[in-house]
Amino acid sequence: MPNKNRKVQSKVSRLLDLPQEISTNLPKITIVGFEKMLIENYKAILEYQEHFVRVSTHIGILNISGYNLNLNEMTTDDLLITGTIDGIDFESISEE
Amino acid sequence: MYFKILLNIILGYVSIEVEGYFIERFMNLCNKEKIFLWGIKRSHSTKVRVNVGLKDFKRLKPIIKKTKCRVKINKKKGVPFLLHRYQKRKIFFALFLIIILSIILLSNFIWNIEVTGNNRIPKEEILSILQNNNLKIGKCKIGLKTNSIVQQIRLERNDIAWVGIDIKGTNAIVEIVEADLKPEIINEDEFCNIIATKDGIITKITAQNGTPVAKQGDMVTKGSVLIGGWLEGKFTGTRYVHANGEIQARVWYSEKTKIPLKQLEKVPTGKQENKYSVKINNFKINLLKGVSKFEKYDTIETTKKLKLFSNFYLPIEIYKKTFSEYQEKEINYTVEEAKSIGIAQAQQKLEGKVENKELIVDKKIYTKQNENYVEVEVIYEVLENIGTKEKIVF
Repeated sequence: MPNKNRKVQSKVSRLLDLPQEISTNLPKITIVGFEKMLIENYKAILEYQEHFVRVSTHIGILNISGYNLNLNEMTTDDLLITGTIDGIDFESISEE
Repeated sequence: MYFKILLNIILGYVSIEVEGYFIERFMNLCNKEKIFLWGIKRSHSTKVRVNVGLKDFKRLKPIIKKTKCRVKINKKKGVPFLLHRYQKRKIFFALFLIIILSIILLSNFIWNIEVTGNNRIPKEEILSILQNNNLKIGKCKIGLKTNSIVQQIRLERNDIAWVGIDIKGTNAIVEIVEADLKPEIINEDEFCNIIATKDGIITKITAQNGTPVAKQGDMVTKGSVLIGGWLEGKFTGTRYVHANGEIQARVWYSEKTKIPLKQLEKVPTGKQENKYSVKINNFKINLLKGVSKFEKYDTIETTKKLKLFSNFYLPIEIYKKTFSEYQEKEINYTVEEAKSIGIAQAQQKLEGKVENKELIVDKKIYTKQNENYVEVEVIYEVLENIGTKEKIVF
């Protein structure tokens, strides 16, 4: 069901030229330099340590490694991470 | 985002330290409850520093219980806490308010009047005119109609061409453009003579209209007619005309000075003494007694108006009297020295008198020697145009 729903949404959004992160649950990740990272449309924080942050999104898990990582601002759908970011990797949930 | 932080600063926020094993869970629960967290920083493996708004902090309690965390308040920040701190300093606050109020109140008055652009009219005269027209020091700025004052002044005085009153802060700047005294213009169809403005010997006289009365080489005095505004014909009789012409004459300017051979000169010793007094709106307070300890001294008085900002004058003046000591020293000039000093002085005075220095033809210096002094006379001979028109009055 959710899969179908998403498809309908994307059709409407394509027609109206809406940005994808608004019409769907897809996360939008913005990285400014190597020190700032904004994740929109996230679900929850799974792990937070100074050198490692694990954030779950609707399509998978996002791993961020670095030093002195701070969660500068946290609202229900935005998360701003600052600190020296070393690496990012994704663990996508395979769709059945 | 920044707006939210700003709002929290205004409403107050606390920086807390959360200790526990399930801090991520704590954060996610906060998110679900729509509690805004910012500045999250891990300080220890089990500790996290978080900023929370004041209202949200009260809602944290069930979450803390659920996640079995311990919370310690680190710092209280924001405007409400700042105000709370100053509640104990009521007098300080009251005085602060009084100062601000008095500044606002005082800024509604005029504390300084600046007059610019006056060369001939003395400043006191302008100030007295302004005073008659309700603009004086200590007058309230509200309800002051500068337009009507300007119009009044222009009605009263003929020698002021333009007046502008600009009120900047507590400073009223009165700008004046003085009117040149207008020369009497005689219409072409009116009859006039040409008369001499200065004494002198005529070197050249050309009459374009009218009959020349004076001849070349004549000695004329000030006010005498040079070209008469009439024409005489054999058959027409005397006919009056508008005289026109040019008269060039030698004019002498002389300056006499006496230079005494013995002179007392003031030699400052460099010692100075300052005395201050404070003047508050015409009420003077002497801080020190006004007699100097020196025997011979010059006094220099200076006043300085206090101002807060560039244009905010206060009704307080600092009055400074400087006494500088000098010693009298007798100087004996030789005759030659006295002469050269005298000539220099006289020449300097003459330079101011003569309008056009290129027309100077001759310079003569006469010196006379007496027992105690030297008399110097410097004469400049200048070729000048000395004619002006004067209306013939019948």
